Amino acid sequence: MNRRQFLITSSAIAAGMALPGIARSAEAIDLYSGSDQNIIDFWTNIALPAFQKAHPELTVKVTDAGDNNGLRAIGDRALAALKSKSDPQADIFEAFNPRLPAGGIDAGLWVKLTGDNIEGFERINPLALDNGYSLPYRGSQVLLAYDTTKLDPKTAPKTWDQLVSWIKANPGQFIYNRPDKGGSGGNFVRRAIHEANGRDPAKFQVDNYSAEAADKMLAPAWKILNDLAPALYEKGAYTAGNTQSIQLLGQGVVAMVPVWSDQVLQAVSQGVLPETTGLVQLTDLALCGDFARMTVFSNGAHKEGALKLAAFMLTKEMQEAVITQLGGFPSISWQHLSDDLRKKYADVIPTSIPVFPAGDWEKAVNDGWYRNVAPSISRT
Amino acid sequence: MTEISNSFRSAHRVAPIAKGNKPVGLLLVVTPVLLVFWLIIYPIISAVISTIFIGDPDGNVGISFASYRFFFSDGYSLANLWLTLWTTIVCGALLLLIGLPIALYLRFSHGRLAGYVQALAIFPMFVPSVILAYALIRTIGPNGAVDLVLNALGLPKLPSPYLTPWGPVIGLVWDNLPLTVLMLTAGLSSISNSSVEAARDVGASPLRVFVSIILPRMGNSMLVTGSFAILGIFSAFTLPYMLGRASPETMGPFMQRTFSDLNDPRAALTQAVISFGFCLLFGLFYVRSIAKNRETRR
Repeated sequence: MNRRQFLITSSAIAAGMALPGIARSAEAIDLYSGSDQNIIDFWTNIALPAFQKAHPELTVKVTDAGDNNGLRAIGDRALAALKSKSDPQADIFEAFNPRLPAGGIDAGLWVKLTGDNIEGFERINPLALDNGYSLPYRGSQVLLAYDTTKLDPKTAPKTWDQLVSWIKANPGQFIYNRPDKGGSGGNFVRRAIHEANGRDPAKFQVDNYSAEAADKMLAPAWKILNDLAPALYEKGAYTAGNTQSIQLLGQGVVAMVPVWSDQVLQAVSQGVLPETTGLVQLTDLALCGDFARMTVFSNGAHKEGALKLAAFMLTKEMQEAVITQLGGFPSISWQHLSDDLRKKYADVIPTSIPVFPAGDWEKAVNDGWYRNVAPSISRT
Repeated sequence: MTEISNSFRSAHRVAPIAKGNKPVGLLLVVTPVLLVFWLIIYPIISAVISTIFIGDPDGNVGISFASYRFFFSDGYSLANLWLTLWTTIVCGALLLLIGLPIALYLRFSHGRLAGYVQALAIFPMFVPSVILAYALIRTIGPNGAVDLVLNALGLPKLPSPYLTPWGPVIGLVWDNLPLTVLMLTAGLSSISNSSVEAARDVGASPLRVFVSIILPRMGNSMLVTGSFAILGIFSAFTLPYMLGRASPETMGPFMQRTFSDLNDPRAALTQAVISFGFCLLFGLFYVRSIAKNRETRR
């Protein structure tokens, strides 16, 4: 290829790449997701074809915003668009906390979701509801996944103390990911924080953060985690995400990792993890989990369509798909689902899911962990 | 790279002829220059300004070096900077060490095998770094392919570089090898066959040819290759993030984390300006050597 040809083809490619942005369909509902690939696959392969069948007149465009920060940038854009009364070019977020962007709720950025505008709203499990500006449609929780060929399910740890003594008795067999890079390690760290604060998740609220409180409440958790570090894989190494932890478990490098319930069930069904993978939840206080909640923009060009899409995700068909296809928890109460499903998943139906606030606390946890726990590696 | 250096030379040659068409020439140059200003120079200036001129809540704007003072007094940040420099220099040295023999081989041998070697050396260019990172976890990671082979041969396992500082080094060297080999091969092509043959005729050994004929003419292209590799590696994100350890981290992941996890754009910008300063240092080397080279050619 000479330079002329190269220039022609490369500029053609560049132009082609720029095109989709221009040729954005005016008619499609714009859905943005910041979730992992398995969630986006679920939407494109299962949810949207079914929605298309139910509402042939509506189309949906799914855009991967990368992560929650990507969504926040689009949320900021929508808030700016609200002030200038222009099209935010976004209609619905797949999972988002409407408390951001700051002041968004007061400015009327989000649609208040009630039984009036969402069909089937009354069937939602009260445990899953948040502040009225978001609509839960799937839940997941962090569990411990382990290799049953190395650890007998009968002796699998059921409390934090048992877990700690198991980790210390089996050095190098446990790893969790960096808390900011994925919720499995993140919620393991939060469990240590709960442990250091009397196992009372209620002590941590979105609005009770202060630097002094954080110093006082987080420091003992760093001590617990630093105490564990020498017994972790490579005497204190931490993977860069949920997937890598699962990979290390799959390669038989470690015997136990914290995992997201939906991700681990999918990994087992796809053969990424062997059938001999065991799952256990701590019974003294479960690891954190949460529901993914959709938010709808009040100024989106396709608000009505977006509300229909949100309501569609609460139908029995979709909620059962969340369980069978995604390995998640349904957000509607279990009595609205079919009986066999209810019986089959009786063990994992949560009665309560501990949560940990986002915002300042999350920042303090992430930065505190990097500064206090991550560096204390002695490879001698 | 040959293309670029050729175009430098040809531009030199045609310059006097093109005197009459000056506006056209300037017009052609205007687009890239404007792009560089808009996308590179302006963000740099704005980053420097917004980290130095800081407004207080009353709206007064004052000059403050607090964020820089914090960076250079914070052990955690300094450890990250130090690790980045270490990774960059180790990778740069390894790249030259590995790339030079391959480039020499490609320069002086012909035929099918050389073609295969070239294709193999260029191959990493077409592998996205995320895929490379996962592949490396599978091969050099614990219980990976390498361990399986060693085990099958009855040899003990090697300590895995995954999640140690050597993980990113291996990944970055693999990823940057094609560019290094291409640029070194381009540099080698400026050494004429006749000079090498002349040296051989008077009985010079291959080592002698390398030290006395090739190396002196390679200095410039090695410097260029080195600075290109170093500039790329300094700002690397994916491989250090996926293969390296959690702490200390290299500047790429550190900046990203500061910006998006800690919601601290000013600290992230400060880190970026400091990284930029170091890259500028390497860049100056490169520009100086190019300028010197053109001077002597004239």
